[in-house]
Amino acid sequence: MPETLLPSPPENGPADLEPEVLALGRELGSQRFSVRAAKRGAHDRAMALVSSDEQLRAALFRLVDVAPACAGNAELAEHLAAYLDAVEDDGLPVALGSRAADSRAFSRVSGQVAATMVRRMASRFIVGESIADAEPVLRRLWRQGTAVTVDLLGEATVTHAEGQAYADRCDEALRMLALASGRWPERPLLEHDSIGAVPRVNLSVKVTALTPLTRAEAPERAREDAAGHLRRLLRRAQEVDGHLHVDMESMDSRELILDLVLDLLDEPEFRAGPSVGLVLQAYLRDSEEMLDKILARTLAAGRELPLTVRLVKGAYWDHETIEAAQNGWVPPVWTEKAESDRCFERLSRRLLDAYPLVRTAIASHNLRSVAHALAYGRRLGLAPGDLEVQVLRGLGDDLQDAVTAAGLRCRTYCPVGDIVAGMAYLVRRLLENTSNASFLASRASGSDLEELLCRP
Amino acid sequence: MSSLSSFRNEALLELRRPHERERLLAALAELDAAATIEVPVIIGGDRRLEPGLDSVDPGNPDRVVAVATVATMTEVDAAVDAATLAACGWAATPAVERAAILARAAGELRNRRYELAALAVRECAKPWAEADADVCEAIDFIEYYAAQAVVLDAGPELVQLPGERNSLHYRPRGVVAVIAPWNFPIAIATGMTVAGLATGNAVCLKPAEQSPGCALAIVEALERAGLPAGAISLLPGEGEVGAALAGHPGVHTIAFTGSGAVGLEILRHAAEPAEGQRHLKRVVAEMGGKNCIIVDADADLDDVVPEVLASAFGFAGQKCSAAARVLVHERVADHFAERLRGALDTLLVGQAESFGTDVPPLIEVSSRERVERVVAAAVADGAAVHRVERVPNGGGYFAAPTVVVGPGPDAAVVREEIFGPVVTVEPVADVAAACDLVDQQAHALTGGLFSRNPRTIAAVARRTPVGNLYVNRGTTGAMVGRQPFGGNRLSGTGTKAGGPDYLLHFVEPVVVTENTVRHGLAP
Repeated sequence: MPETLLPSPPENGPADLEPEVLALGRELGSQRFSVRAAKRGAHDRAMALVSSDEQLRAALFRLVDVAPACAGNAELAEHLAAYLDAVEDDGLPVALGSRAADSRAFSRVSGQVAATMVRRMASRFIVGESIADAEPVLRRLWRQGTAVTVDLLGEATVTHAEGQAYADRCDEALRMLALASGRWPERPLLEHDSIGAVPRVNLSVKVTALTPLTRAEAPERAREDAAGHLRRLLRRAQEVDGHLHVDMESMDSRELILDLVLDLLDEPEFRAGPSVGLVLQAYLRDSEEMLDKILARTLAAGRELPLTVRLVKGAYWDHETIEAAQNGWVPPVWTEKAESDRCFERLSRRLLDAYPLVRTAIASHNLRSVAHALAYGRRLGLAPGDLEVQVLRGLGDDLQDAVTAAGLRCRTYCPVGDIVAGMAYLVRRLLENTSNASFLASRASGSDLEELLCRP
Repeated sequence: MSSLSSFRNEALLELRRPHERERLLAALAELDAAATIEVPVIIGGDRRLEPGLDSVDPGNPDRVVAVATVATMTEVDAAVDAATLAACGWAATPAVERAAILARAAGELRNRRYELAALAVRECAKPWAEADADVCEAIDFIEYYAAQAVVLDAGPELVQLPGERNSLHYRPRGVVAVIAPWNFPIAIATGMTVAGLATGNAVCLKPAEQSPGCALAIVEALERAGLPAGAISLLPGEGEVGAALAGHPGVHTIAFTGSGAVGLEILRHAAEPAEGQRHLKRVVAEMGGKNCIIVDADADLDDVVPEVLASAFGFAGQKCSAAARVLVHERVADHFAERLRGALDTLLVGQAESFGTDVPPLIEVSSRERVERVVAAAVADGAAVHRVERVPNGGGYFAAPTVVVGPGPDAAVVREEIFGPVVTVEPVADVAAACDLVDQQAHALTGGLFSRNPRTIAAVARRTPVGNLYVNRGTTGAMVGRQPFGGNRLSGTGTKAGGPDYLLHFVEPVVVTENTVRHGLAP
């Protein structure tokens, strides 16, 4: 049993770890503040402004959301005007904007401006429309010392044909990434840890995009349907020596994804490979039990390669809390941010304790969370490449540069896809970017580094 | 209305948790192992059992779930007499005490919720999530109406001037005849019954012949809660029992949910006082719908497709709120139709007891015949008809979910209420044209709109005739207290079940004005 093999550390972790956490945090933090200060442009300032006005923020997000469905600039302008109606006019310019956007002449201009703005925002978070389109960006990141994982954006899957198309795109992406990355220069930190090789090719896949049969109360339907697609992708990953990372989504698909992946890894065919990853969401109240299950099953499977676990806070907090409130359920997520942060640290320690049974990827933009995991890994005597930090393209660029500069492995999550299909993703990222708890907001409001590094 | 502001809907079971699913399956196994439910006629606490009318599992008609005793005409009279008698005492019981008894009945249902959900699965082939929601809604109706009746009892404030004292009190009307449907076998029967009881009326309940077992559970809960005998009677049977009850001169209020034909018949009949009848009957009628979902060009089809699927095919379309027509902007119509057809192919038709089932069997064989007739007519008309290919054979009343794209404006599939798993897709020039089509309909129950333009949403909300408009979500699943439910036009009498003014239909206002001036002296 994993419990006896891996004793649970105390709730708050070793107290004497704090000095190392703070030291690492300061090191990364100072890097992070300086590296991009010069590059920080109009976008950051605009985002800071937008995050300060909730109504304006809502209007902007709704505009971004609807943009791809609009047939032309005039239609986009019409929506912009309608959204601005809702913004109360203590900001006079906004009210004027709403009226102006209704006029024919202005509608053309404001539509054009809005379209350009949406496109520019999208290009900050989405690296390209196709793998071929994205390859130069991926290569540049690699050259600079940052690894990548690619995520293919798409429409929601509501038909079998759409599931098949997504699977085909994933399969093609694995092949193309293998081809392209073969020409990338050697970067030992990005390609090895104490266990052995770390694949260059790294694709993140969504199970709910592979199958239209996701039913919260009948996980077996999607599980059976997605298994076929996923087996094919595992075989391809094996063939191209790539890593396949299965993303986690909302609670409604959690059980099915976890069981699907763990079951597949039990199959003899995949005993020797490929490298596979799962995601653990620290904002879930029962995430520790999930980890118990993952560790027990991984141990029992006895595969030749370790399982990679990407530890995240979780991106569906609003969805989960709203759904729970509407149905009268106890929310499956922690309601206080600090609880998620503490849980993240507990899970970080347990995951790192489990090395080399699992490889850990710390996927957070929270400096404290990252510093804590790095300090704990160091305490355990892990080499710098034995755990990696993961960030989101466009959102964690500062942290990416700081981690890379510190001689650690950073992997950047790079969405690829057209702007239409990427919109849902984009809005979720924007929401994070401007939420009050975000790093950007704290920077804009001048919170200082020490505060960010406080123990949650 | 402080007691109402604290109202919360009963929590649904979290079916994504395996242990809840296991518990429900265990409850079903227990139900299956138990003897067939025998439903008596209950009048004034007395029971007569003479099983004669089978209520079967629509997924396996050989399985008899309950056997009901058919009420005789004499028993209808006796039940109304008993209700008349009991109504006096029950009306004199303080509203708070009545509410307390009803709250206990809600507790009885809550204690049996797994078992009752299993019963709805078996007796009406309601899939689990909807069967559970049915039990929860019944509990909601009880708690919502009980709390509201207490508030109502205080009466509203009137203008007061020196020298006079004005007061308004709501009195129960007397005897309520409840004629309930099978499609929400626990919730709707409970809601109509409890609306009458909470306001101090006595109730005679005539359940649908397809769901007497569920109705018995409601009456049992009320009895165990301590409701005085006679305040509730149970009169199982078929149409003629309902007709006799509604036509009885001793009945004051008729609460009916069901087909338009029967509803109109009841309204017609109720308008004519019988010989010696000294009151006008009031009718609360919830009838059918032919509900449209409008999809604008700016809608997010990723959301629209699953919501249309759920609204049209949930419980095999056997909800009066179900979506029947999708009126979609021509710019996105082809893409939408293609995705909807593809999504249709993912639907699993099967037994209600399987958690994986999307579309259960229909309630009875005549429902399936109606569906097949309308679909055959659409095929004959040359419309593009797409159906789920795999439907279980065997005895259940299964019908293949069907999407009809581009039917003619006069096709039966567009005109008739089908009450089955059929939806049409009709391209429209724009939202205004869609609103025109909605406006031409005789029914006006629910409507849907998918649009991301706030001005479009406001414009449709202003002009829609429907009783319940759902924006950017499905058209089914109204919640007590949150989405008061009921239709306009030929869909109903404009009442809103689970809403703040529903109870007013079960009471009569009495105003007392007292001159308080005596010898020029006013207190």
